[in-house]
Amino acid sequence: MTEVQFLPQFPLTANPLALFGGMLLSGALTGELVRRVLNLPRITGYVLIGLTLGASGLDVLDARMLGYTRVFLDIGLGLVLFELGRRINFAWLLRDRWLAAMSLAESMLSFACMFGALRWLDVEPLYAAIAAAIGVSSSPAIVLLVARELRAEGQVTERALNLVAINSVVAFVLTTMLLSWIHREYQAGWFVILLHPLYILAGSCFIGLAASWLALKLAGWLGKRIELHAALLLGIVVLLVGAGEALKLSILLSLLTFGVLIGNMDREHKLMPVDVGRFSQIFFVVLFVASGALLHIGDLVAGGAVAAVYIAARFVGKSIGVLCFAHLSGIRAGSGGLLSIALLPMSGIALAIAQSTGTSYPGFSAKLSVIVLAATLILELIGPLAVQFALRRAGEAREE
Amino acid sequence: MPAKWNPELEFKPSRELSIGVELELQILNSRDYNLARDAGDLLALLERTPHPGAVKPEITESMIEVNTSVHMKFATLRAELLEIRDAVSKAAAQLNLRIAGGGSHPFHKWSDRRIYPTERFKHLLSVYGYLAKQFTVFGQHIHVGVPDGDTAIHLAHALSRYIPHFIALSASSPFQQGTDTDFQSSRLNTVSAFPLSGTLPLVHTWSEFVAYFEKMQRFGIVESMKDFYWDTRPKPEFGTVEIRVLDTPLTVERAAQLAAYAQTLAHYLLTQQPLPTSDDVYLVYKYNRFQACRYGVGGAYIDAQTQQRGTLQRDILDTLELLRPYARTLDTEAPLSALRAEAEASKSDAAWLREAYQKLGSLNDVARRQSEQWMGSPLNA
Repeated sequence: MTEVQFLPQFPLTANPLALFGGMLLSGALTGELVRRVLNLPRITGYVLIGLTLGASGLDVLDARMLGYTRVFLDIGLGLVLFELGRRINFAWLLRDRWLAAMSLAESMLSFACMFGALRWLDVEPLYAAIAAAIGVSSSPAIVLLVARELRAEGQVTERALNLVAINSVVAFVLTTMLLSWIHREYQAGWFVILLHPLYILAGSCFIGLAASWLALKLAGWLGKRIELHAALLLGIVVLLVGAGEALKLSILLSLLTFGVLIGNMDREHKLMPVDVGRFSQIFFVVLFVASGALLHIGDLVAGGAVAAVYIAARFVGKSIGVLCFAHLSGIRAGSGGLLSIALLPMSGIALAIAQSTGTSYPGFSAKLSVIVLAATLILELIGPLAVQFALRRAGEAREE
Repeated sequence: MPAKWNPELEFKPSRELSIGVELELQILNSRDYNLARDAGDLLALLERTPHPGAVKPEITESMIEVNTSVHMKFATLRAELLEIRDAVSKAAAQLNLRIAGGGSHPFHKWSDRRIYPTERFKHLLSVYGYLAKQFTVFGQHIHVGVPDGDTAIHLAHALSRYIPHFIALSASSPFQQGTDTDFQSSRLNTVSAFPLSGTLPLVHTWSEFVAYFEKMQRFGIVESMKDFYWDTRPKPEFGTVEIRVLDTPLTVERAAQLAAYAQTLAHYLLTQQPLPTSDDVYLVYKYNRFQACRYGVGGAYIDAQTQQRGTLQRDILDTLELLRPYARTLDTEAPLSALRAEAEASKSDAAWLREAYQKLGSLNDVARRQSEQWMGSPLNA
């Protein structure tokens, strides 16, 4: 009989909470260090410490460990998308149709440029198309967080966030549609080819819609109390993340739908303007540490050259789309260029998409990774700097 | 050291009783209806949109000022104000911004404000420190044309008796920094913090005024006329007397009505010359002014000439009665009767804002309603 059962057994098993705390702490400290010493955005610090602790560095945060933190990452991502969705204002897009035109133009042109560049490099059409579709989206998390960190406010900030939200949706719809192409490639039945994308798109939108309806009903009943509304929204965000996962739907699309609809359906202004970001900051730190840990420096060697072409094509496509409509859409001269720069960061969601296709068809995922992951690595590091530069240059950052 | 010859002090005559209006306006975001910082983008967009009048930056990036041209008639002034409103609203909507009237934003934090980057505004920040940012309050200025400097001085003094009228009829700043101030116009308390606020000194002619100004200049206290933040001041450059105590009303219609009141009152004062300029007006001035700020038309009012104490509401209604024949000649009967109805019912923009808060339960909603009220139809277009 053992007398010391009350003592922990070694080796210790990984504990999700300790892991979360450790990632938060190391992220926050490195972020601050990077800001003070190098005057870089804190996010760069989060990614760097992730990179150091992850597969490319000390390998403490391997895939298994990150699996334990999955739930926190999903919440973080859910909050980012919800907050982004809330910034989209249909009435504005109707009033400033050039902005709507700009968003479609930059999405489509960047897709075309990336696709063309990859085809030029002799990448097979299917992979070229999926890589291009993933590249359409700018990182909502990076743009939103840098804007928050700088307390930026103004036309470049607002428009960048709206464009990011829209190109995320376009990217998602494109990839989901291309999914059916993958299904065909792997000889899936017609039933799967048609129904899988349809299920994801319609299902995700539907739960987002249901959540908005519920939130507005409850907000009306609660009355104008900001702390109650904060609890309401956070509760529904987390619930929706869980529901999306359980129903095998898209967290991205359902949370974005929730964010967009809750604002645009609220004709009687029942919901108070809760600043969800205040609560979400801690999840965001962990999100970026994790996304840093997922990056492989090795990808740079394998896909660096292709990635450079891919990034350049993406930037050209986005810039042309933005610049064509900048003047018509009423912003100042020079703002268009800054807006293009602010769209540079690529989404960590790219990783998620690459991996989710990977789980269905592993061979496919490996081919895609070479192209996309190297680009993601480069843009996760450069992206925050680009956004910081654009918002500061636009004079929209608040002096510290 | 002799004072420099100052072309600024040369009084340029203008048409007697011509009127013009300046309005300082709030720029709000459409998310939580806090003050935004988009003055630069809004001004740039308006620069390439044809519109009447002029649009200018103000001390912080959350404000713009619109100016009308010079008018003889209420009707044309009102029409121009509506056109300016529509142009500004349309440009703001294109940038997803809202524009609101009202003397104060109900819940913004002054420390969040940023100075609009011009040399003059940066200088004001260096001189006045936090007061410069707190100066993010919104007023209406009414210019009344006079033929010469002496008339300007005379009219400015004669108007001082009626300053509480303008305060009470325009009061629209009950909330500041997220709190109900209990005032109808809390904006003027912000103005009072400036050392050069107050009233025109008791000079009687333009040359006496110039002598006063030059003395102040020699002391190094002021550089230009702009440094005086007086309630009423002569504006030699325009050839006008400028009334500066009004809160920006919630609508341009009300702003036009108040200008018509000033015009009619000036007509009466210049034709009848009923009041000799006297010290006594300034003895009761601050008391009456405070009462108007604090209680609006419900405040007490002391008439320095008759030494009677009554209510401001009574004095306004009596004055409006007195002005009837002058309103007929100037064609300002309609706006004056609108003001009369409001004063009789003790209604005001400040009361409207408090009611909105009662009904809607949050200051974000108050600011939203404030912008809907000002922008009117262009917002729904």
